[in-house]
Amino acid sequence: MTESLMNLWHPIASAEDLPYRHIFQGQLLGRELAVWRADDDFVNVWENRCLHRGTRLSIGRSDGLELRCQYHGWRYANRSAGCTYIPAHPADAPARTICNRTFPSVERYGLIWSGEEPTGEPPEIAALENAETLLLRNIAVNAPLNLVLGHLANYRFSITGDPDNLATTSMDYQDGCSLSLTATCDGKKSTVVFFVQPVDSNRSVIRGVLSNSPEGAERLLTLRHHSAELSRLRDIVELEALDGPSLEPMVATIEQVPIALPEITTPSGRKAALRVQVLRKWATAEGVVGLELESIGEPLPTHQPGAHIDVHLPNGLVRQYSLTNAPGEGSLYRLGVKLEADSRGGSACLHETVKEGDVLAISEPRNNFPLRRDAVKTILIAGGIGVTPLLSMAQTLRNNKLDYELHYFAQTDGHLAFPEVLHELGEAVVLHLGLSPDETSQALTALLAGPQPAMHIYVCGPGPMLEATRRIASEADWPDEAIHFEYFKNTIEVDSSSSFEVSLARSALTLEVPSGKTILEVLRDNGIALMSSCEQGACGTCEVTVIEGEPEHQDVYLNDSEKLAGQRIMTCVSRAKSPRLVLDI
Amino acid sequence: MIKIYDYILSVNCYKQRLMMSILDVPFESIPIDFYPGWEHKSEEFKKINPLGHIPVIDDDGFMLRDAHAILIYLASKYDPTGLWYPTNNPELIGETAQWMLFAEGTTNTASAARLHVNLGYEFDIEACRAGAHRLFRVLEEHLWFREQENLGWVCSGEQPTIADIAIFPDVILSEEGGVARIDYPALRRWTDRVKRIPGFVPMPGIFPVGDARPISHEGEANA
Repeated sequence: MTESLMNLWHPIASAEDLPYRHIFQGQLLGRELAVWRADDDFVNVWENRCLHRGTRLSIGRSDGLELRCQYHGWRYANRSAGCTYIPAHPADAPARTICNRTFPSVERYGLIWSGEEPTGEPPEIAALENAETLLLRNIAVNAPLNLVLGHLANYRFSITGDPDNLATTSMDYQDGCSLSLTATCDGKKSTVVFFVQPVDSNRSVIRGVLSNSPEGAERLLTLRHHSAELSRLRDIVELEALDGPSLEPMVATIEQVPIALPEITTPSGRKAALRVQVLRKWATAEGVVGLELESIGEPLPTHQPGAHIDVHLPNGLVRQYSLTNAPGEGSLYRLGVKLEADSRGGSACLHETVKEGDVLAISEPRNNFPLRRDAVKTILIAGGIGVTPLLSMAQTLRNNKLDYELHYFAQTDGHLAFPEVLHELGEAVVLHLGLSPDETSQALTALLAGPQPAMHIYVCGPGPMLEATRRIASEADWPDEAIHFEYFKNTIEVDSSSSFEVSLARSALTLEVPSGKTILEVLRDNGIALMSSCEQGACGTCEVTVIEGEPEHQDVYLNDSEKLAGQRIMTCVSRAKSPRLVLDI
Repeated sequence: MIKIYDYILSVNCYKQRLMMSILDVPFESIPIDFYPGWEHKSEEFKKINPLGHIPVIDDDGFMLRDAHAILIYLASKYDPTGLWYPTNNPELIGETAQWMLFAEGTTNTASAARLHVNLGYEFDIEACRAGAHRLFRVLEEHLWFREQENLGWVCSGEQPTIADIAIFPDVILSEEGGVARIDYPALRRWTDRVKRIPGFVPMPGIFPVGDARPISHEGEANA
C-alpha cells in the first residue's frame, strides 16, 4: 500500500494556503514539507529541513526568490533549492552540492499536488474539468487513510447548504485516495470530489472540491455546511481510530548531501556538463546581445551572484560569460555578450551565428566573484559590459533589502545593457556617461574617497579601468579584502620561459614543468585534470594551494596581499621563482 | 513612565510588551527572576501581587495585574483611534470580550504546556495539549471563514483588536509546549498577519516574517 502511495500524486495544500511570502508547513507520507510560492509564481515543495542544522524551513523567511533559514541564515534559491549564501562564510561561494531536496508540484482544481516519486500526471477528474469549482475547507483527521475513505463513502450533504435537507447521495467512483459523490434533490445535482491526503500512518487530510460554485450568500452557507458535516465525520472517525490498532509513524528517508570533493577526472580539458537551448536572443544595447538559455532536460543548477559559465561555441572556442540574473529568478541563465572589435571568433560567433532555438554546451556555473551579504553598504562599479555580474549582484542586494549603489560607466545611453533591469533597480543606479579616462579617474576617486568599515566594493570592467580603480583604492587606503575585482582577461604579459619542479603532496608525485608549458598542462599530461575555465589567469577556477616554494604570480585574479602571502597559485599562467613548488594536490 | 514587572520568556508579559510597542508607549521593564528564582512567588513580590504572578504594571502609581485586564487598560488609555478596544461598537466589543475569554483558554492549555516543558511547572501535560488542540481547531475554522469574507482578524472588524494580541503569543509559542500547528494552516497565516502589524516586536522563540504584499500604486490590484 505504502509503496503505491509513494508513486501517486497527492494534494498537499490548497492554492489559497500559499499567500504572498508565506511558507506553508505540510506533510505527506510521514515527510514534512515546506511549501512556498515564489514571486515568479513557481510553487516550491521542499524537504522541511535546513541542510545545516535540520531546522524547519517553514519557520524561515521568504524574500520572494530566496528562502532564508531562521537559525543561521542559510539561503536557498527558488526552484532549484540550491544554497546561495552562508552568512558564517560571507566571502565564500557555497559548494554546488549543498542543495535541498525538492519535490514536483502541479496546481490543479485549486490544489497543490506533489508526491514522493509520482508517475504520470495528477488525476484528471471529468466532473471538475471546465467547472466553476468550489474548494471546501480542508479537514485534518487523526485517523488512517482507509478509515477516512470508508466513512467518506457514506457522506451525506445538502445541495443548498440547509442541514435539515440532506440529499440522496450516490457514489460515482472510488479510486486510490479519491472518491466522488453526487447528491440529487428536487431535480438539482451537486458533485463533491474528495481527495484524502495520507499525512502519516495515523493522520490524513480531507480535501473536498465541489463541482459547482454557488453564488452570493449560498456560497458561504454551503462552505459552512460542509465544514460542519465533515467535522462531525472527523469526530466519529477519530473515535473509531482510537479503538483501532496503534500504528507506527511513517519514517521518511532523508538523503545525505554529497560532500564536495575536488573533481579528479580523466584529462579531457574543460567540461561542458549542461546542454541548453537559446530561448531568446535580442539586442539589449549598442553592440550587446542578451541571451536567455534554458535547460534541455534537468533544471539548471543554482547559481550565485557573481557566477560565470563557460560557453562552448559551435566553432570550437570556449568563452566565459557572467550570469546577469539573480539566483531564484527563473530556471534560466541570462547573458550579455558584447561584440569585441578584436574578436577572435568568440563574441562574433554568438552575435552572428548562434540563433534562437540553437543548442549550446555550457559548464555548470562557477563563482569566483562571490558577493558578501554582510556589508553595511555595497558599491558596485561597472565599466561597459562589465555590468553583467554586477546586475546579478544588484538584484540580489535589492531582493535582500541591503544597501547598495550600482555605478555604471558607459559611453552613451544606447550602450546601457539590460535597460529594463536598470529601470527596475531605480534610484540605486548611478550612470556615468561619456567620460574620458581622466574624468573616469576623477569619478572613481570621488566614489572611493574615505574607506568605511564593513563597506565592500565590487568592480568589473575593462583592464585600464580596473587598474585605475586598484590604484585609486590603494591611495585612499582601502584594505585589499574590501575591494573585489573581476577581469575579462589577463592584462599581464605572461612569461612562460622559466622551468621548475612541482611536487604534488597528496599524489606523491613530482613533475618537471619545462619552459613553454603551464603547470595546468603538465598536470593534465600526467592524468590530473584540474578544473579550469578561462585559462589565462583571470577567472580563478584553476586555483591550487601552495604548501612550499615561492610562486611567480602572473594572474589578475589574486589581489596584492594574496600574491604576497604566496599561499595560492593560478596554475594556468603562474609559475615558480623557487626551483620547486609543493602543491596541495 | 509605565513600569512592568516583567520576565523575558513569559507569554503574558510579552502580550503587554507587544501592545505597548504597537501603541508606541514607552515603558520600563523591571525584571523578575521567574525561572529558576521563582521571585514572583516570594513574600516580597506578593506585596505587589498577592496572587504571585506576572505581569503587573505600575502606571504612575496605578497598579494593575492580569495580562488580559492590562491589555484592556492599555488600549483604553493609550490608543487614540479606539480601534484596539472598540468600546463604541457593541457587537465588536462583545466579540472582543468573547475572544479575550477564549485567550484565557489558550493560556491555560497551550501556554501551560509550555510552562511545564520549559519553566518547571507541574501540569497534566497531555490534558494541556489535548485542550490546546481542541481550541486551535475552533480557531482554525473561525479564521478560515474570516478569510472567506476577506477579513483577517479574530473579531469581525477590519482592524485587529486586543483579542488578537491576547491569543497570538499562546499560539505562536505552542510548539515549545509540544503543540504542533501543522494541522492549522489558517492559524499559521493569521500569525503572519499579526507579525506584520506596524510596531510588532518579537521575543525569544518568535521570529520575524517575510514582507506583506506591496500596495500597488498603478490603480490595478496587485493580485
